[in-house]
Amino acid sequence: MKLTERQTDALAELINIAFARTGAALSELTGHRVLLSPPEVAVYRTEELRPALAKFVPGDIASIHQVFGGPVAGDALLLLNYAGAVQLTDLLTDEEQPSVFLDESAREVLTEVGNILLNACLGMFGNLLNVHVTFSVPRLHLETLDELIDSTTSDKTEMHYALVVYTAFQVRDSSVKGFLVIVLSVGSLDRLIQEVDAWEAQQGK
Amino acid sequence: MTPSPKETLLNAAVLHWMHELAAQGIVTTDSELNIVGWNNWMEEQTGKHAHEVIGKNLLELFPELTERRLDRHYKWALEGQVRVLSQALHEYLLSMPVVSGEHVYPQMQQAVRISPLSRDGRVIGTLTIIEDVTERVAREAELQAQVEARTRLLASEKLARSEAERANRLKDEFLATISHELRNPLNAILGWAHMLRTGKLNEANTDRAVETIYRNAQSQTQLVSDLLDVSRIISGKLRLDVRTVDLIYIVNAAIDSIRPAADAKGIQLQTMLDPAVGPISGDADRLQQIVWNLLTNAVKFTPKEGKIQIKVQRVDSHVEIVVSDSGVGISKEFLPYVFDRFRQADASTTRIHGGLGLGLSIVRQLVDLHGGSVSVESEGEGKGATFTITLPFVGVINNQKEAESVSPAHGDEAVTFDGLPSLQGIKVLVVDDEADTRELISEVLKECGSEVILSRSVAEALEALEQHRPDILISDLGMPDEDGYSLISKIRSLPPERGGQIPAAALTAYARAEDRMRVLRSGFQFHLPKPVDSAELVTVVASLAGRAYKS
Repeated sequence: MKLTERQTDALAELINIAFARTGAALSELTGHRVLLSPPEVAVYRTEELRPALAKFVPGDIASIHQVFGGPVAGDALLLLNYAGAVQLTDLLTDEEQPSVFLDESAREVLTEVGNILLNACLGMFGNLLNVHVTFSVPRLHLETLDELIDSTTSDKTEMHYALVVYTAFQVRDSSVKGFLVIVLSVGSLDRLIQEVDAWEAQQGK
Repeated sequence: MTPSPKETLLNAAVLHWMHELAAQGIVTTDSELNIVGWNNWMEEQTGKHAHEVIGKNLLELFPELTERRLDRHYKWALEGQVRVLSQALHEYLLSMPVVSGEHVYPQMQQAVRISPLSRDGRVIGTLTIIEDVTERVAREAELQAQVEARTRLLASEKLARSEAERANRLKDEFLATISHELRNPLNAILGWAHMLRTGKLNEANTDRAVETIYRNAQSQTQLVSDLLDVSRIISGKLRLDVRTVDLIYIVNAAIDSIRPAADAKGIQLQTMLDPAVGPISGDADRLQQIVWNLLTNAVKFTPKEGKIQIKVQRVDSHVEIVVSDSGVGISKEFLPYVFDRFRQADASTTRIHGGLGLGLSIVRQLVDLHGGSVSVESEGEGKGATFTITLPFVGVINNQKEAESVSPAHGDEAVTFDGLPSLQGIKVLVVDDEADTRELISEVLKECGSEVILSRSVAEALEALEQHRPDILISDLGMPDEDGYSLISKIRSLPPERGGQIPAAALTAYARAEDRMRVLRSGFQFHLPKPVDSAELVTVVASLAGRAYKS
């Protein structure tokens, strides 16, 4: 499935609204100005996900994973490379000395950050589709890209697509790159695109 | 629909675990946030019993949740979201005391999950799980501190290593400088001595040869003296011979001794010595060395026709000696290192200015020993430099006579036999293993009319004592086999008629107070520092023999 340029733009705009909320929430929480750079959106088939992300994350990945259910269901993930994850928690918790590894407290912070971002995006989709979305408890994993993709809950028999949103957290003159990946069944993605089209048409009026 | 027996059993198990066994706080509310469940853990940690809280509204019971804007998480939970509250960003959800341990945290540190409870796609309440992470957070902070300490240690080790390498390099440079500086005068000495031995020099050139040899030997003596001072300072063996001294006298003596060098370069010496300074406490020789070092330095680094100003003044409770010159100045980069050992601004082999770079380091150490301080100012290269020495003014009993009596001797005066006492009829036994020293002393003493007996060792000396019955003994201390201390103790154990009470003087290299004491305790009446000053030698011999100066 290919998105048109208009659809991609509309989706990016919608996600940007969720990002603005996330940035505001993180700013309030940490006392620092936190911005999320404008999203760049692309859609891949799940098989294509590996090569698409491999360049960005060669080593271990820190992922915050939430499964969502309801009329639209799938997996939502925030991906950071390991060094980025360490740097982001240091920036958000005012750590003076750069940390070497992610301790339990740092993992919790990442989980909370991912939770805020994923909730904002999925909540926005839920509102758009006017459906109630339920969430699992967010979990943080440290694993390779392959292990991560294999761990998504999607039914392997059905065709699945991944909505990949590239962004960067900008905190205190530093920038930490991250990816938001939402894996949806073809049916769920179809519904989402229809609603995005409708929303886009409404905005044009 | 009635639950199956299995469901009933599982429900009972869950409820039992939740209320009785769970090691976390578990709070259940309905969709209005009225408290429905409050487990044992919550009772224990908050001191609030379930019957006190059940049925009450969570946000009303804990207004701090709204104050801290945490009520939003319950609103989102009621919309179906699961919320995570990390300790690092929130510290805690509900204020509870820390249970145990020596933590700096005033509150129990908590990690929290707030989840919606749903039935048939509708949220009917919330479930809050609170975990006590105080111990864990403290442990992590400790670990982090250890990592930081290790990083710092690594950095400081690295710094120490590079500092050691730098010191080593400085020492290498210093050794190169030392051999260069010591060899320079030696070349002149050997060269001119060689020409003297050929006997082909005319009178004018012979004078020049002797003059050059003398001057170079003097300068080498100074180098060796500096080196010995440094080694004494390093080993902490330098002791001050503190008495009441006249600073103005000392400064004048130092000025006199560098005046020839200054005159040779056409440098103008300007003195402003406040006579009101009066006597201070200090080591006269060392104070003169301090001033002499500063002045020599100033002369060395001031170009021809330059100007050097020496000021001595009393400021409050201390005395200031200020030496300023119109010389090459000191760059800002080098200024902090001026007083470091072995440091010279220009360490290249082609450098213009000689010397070991020890003078100023010795100055600082000596000033420190006097309880004073030394500082330097320079506007930069080519703009001259000003050294300021501050010495404490210790209220001394005004005894001008004593002050004068310990003013240092003029070491640089030309040798003259005028006005020296006659040694006519005095028999002197000279003991030294070095032929040159023996010959020199012998020549000087004979010049003044004394009879001289020479011995090369302790055994020879004891024999000569028996045989010639000398009036005076002059003995070197450092000799192979038996030394001068051994000689004097053997002599002093002899009866008076066999020479046991012969007046004796020891020849000592660089004798300072502590050496002098040992010399005197061992039975000598006097010590003569090497290299031997002719006038001093004659005076000492005369004094030992009870002869007075010729008036």
